[in-house]
Amino acid sequence: MNKLLKSCLTALGCVLFGVALIRCKTRQTTDEPKKIAIVVSTLNNPWFVFLAERAQAKAKELGYESKVFDSQNNTAQETDHFENAIASGYNAILFNPTDADGSIINVKNATAAGVPVFCMDREVNANDAATSQILSDSYSGCVSIAKYFVETLNKKGKYVEILGMVGDNNTWNRSKGFHSVVDHYPDLKMVAQQSADFDRNKAMEVLESILQAQPDIDAVFCGNDAMAMGAYQALVASGKADKVKVFGFDGAEDVVLSIQQGKIMATGMQFPEVMAETAANFADAYFKGKRDFPKKMPVAVELVRKDNIENYAAYGKKE
Amino acid sequence: MKKSVKYIVFLAVVAVVAYNSVYFKALDEVKAGTSSFNAAKYAGEFWTARLIPALKKSVSYNVLLPLLQTEKDKAFEQYSHALGIGNIRYFLVKGEGEVISVDENEVIVRLDSAGQRPELRLATEYVFGNAVRDASGSLHINEFENSMDFNNVSAEINKIIRDKVIPPFRSKVKKGDVVSFHGAIELNREYLDLKRVEVIPVELRIKNEELRMKI
Repeated sequence: MNKLLKSCLTALGCVLFGVALIRCKTRQTTDEPKKIAIVVSTLNNPWFVFLAERAQAKAKELGYESKVFDSQNNTAQETDHFENAIASGYNAILFNPTDADGSIINVKNATAAGVPVFCMDREVNANDAATSQILSDSYSGCVSIAKYFVETLNKKGKYVEILGMVGDNNTWNRSKGFHSVVDHYPDLKMVAQQSADFDRNKAMEVLESILQAQPDIDAVFCGNDAMAMGAYQALVASGKADKVKVFGFDGAEDVVLSIQQGKIMATGMQFPEVMAETAANFADAYFKGKRDFPKKMPVAVELVRKDNIENYAAYGKKE
Repeated sequence: MKKSVKYIVFLAVVAVVAYNSVYFKALDEVKAGTSSFNAAKYAGEFWTARLIPALKKSVSYNVLLPLLQTEKDKAFEQYSHALGIGNIRYFLVKGEGEVISVDENEVIVRLDSAGQRPELRLATEYVFGNAVRDASGSLHINEFENSMDFNNVSAEINKIIRDKVIPPFRSKVKKGDVVSFHGAIELNREYLDLKRVEVIPVELRIKNEELRMKI
């Protein structure tokens, strides 16, 4: 009998200890600061590094822990990051997608698991997937660049377009914005259009190869600043840098400097800090109970050229 | 014999798999938009049902200009629209004035205004961008599945202006004419430049031409 009582007491003790452990763990979870995962398409481009850093800084300022995940422009890697973030108990994801279509499933999985997703700069092609998407108005920015492009080329000449990643909406929003203007001028002839995946080295190789077949071009329009710098390097190497006008998009540090020095004609200034901070603020508002977010929030892009460069610094306005 | 059949079958399978794994497509064909959306139809409906009625709410540039000069924030707050965040904002404006120059890309008009007599540029060449779509404040990006469709609406609105609004005006307007206009302007809230304000026209009238026709 005594033995039975002893066993019962031991079992009860074990159960109570277990319950106490669980309670202890639960209390710790509620006391812990919320965690924000920042999943970025690539950290191989300084623009996205800046975006991630600003998101992280804002999250910290708001009192949250955060960690940056680099998808390396690979949707499979992005999926792994989402699975890890969900399994590790992250409470929100600030997301810069790799692919407008390919990334939808990751966003849907996270929201289904109760983790809100706020897209930054790049969009996913589904209005109901992300909690909110904070996007650069790339189309309008490239319309402004294209107007300046047409004016500076005096409505005629041969040009090359270097595109970003073909699966990204920004690539096509920029290209379509540009062509919505330039295609009205039949004497402006696009002699080559090729993708360089938003990558500086690839853009240099792409333009070097195009210049073999098309040595007498007048301008190059690039879907981002990294590619504009790569294109400029190719032009320097071929001795054409003074003749060929290069146009970029982003507002990256080296391009802002190059516009000052007259090497690059113009860029579209995006505001990654505004996007990153808005996304972090939205996550903060979500944690505090807000649920009615705008599905899309465009951020205006401004044309930067030599005659207004004094207003701008890398990735935004001069302080 | 059996071995050779095996090799042939194996090679055939490899060839079929390889053929179906790789395909070539022109970059221009790859478009991240929804093909079912008819931007031209949408723009046509927007023009008649929302934009033209919204012209009644246009602010006179003679009222807007002094407000921008003295109380910039109030002017932007009261009269501008934009779809998102940032410094670029749009106004729906109206005015009347004398044509002082008909240039290759624009018609320059001097407005009748107490004291200032400001000059505005009516765009007749570079009719691009989202100024007209966004200035009325009656269209929202969240009505669209993706931003490409939304941008295509802008391109179609601009096409209406280039095809229907500008040609009849451009063919008759000359220096000295009195014209009236409704249109959209784009201003940067932070770096306000009122020296070169360009109007994307929605309605254009040559007043003395109308007078001559009545006589």
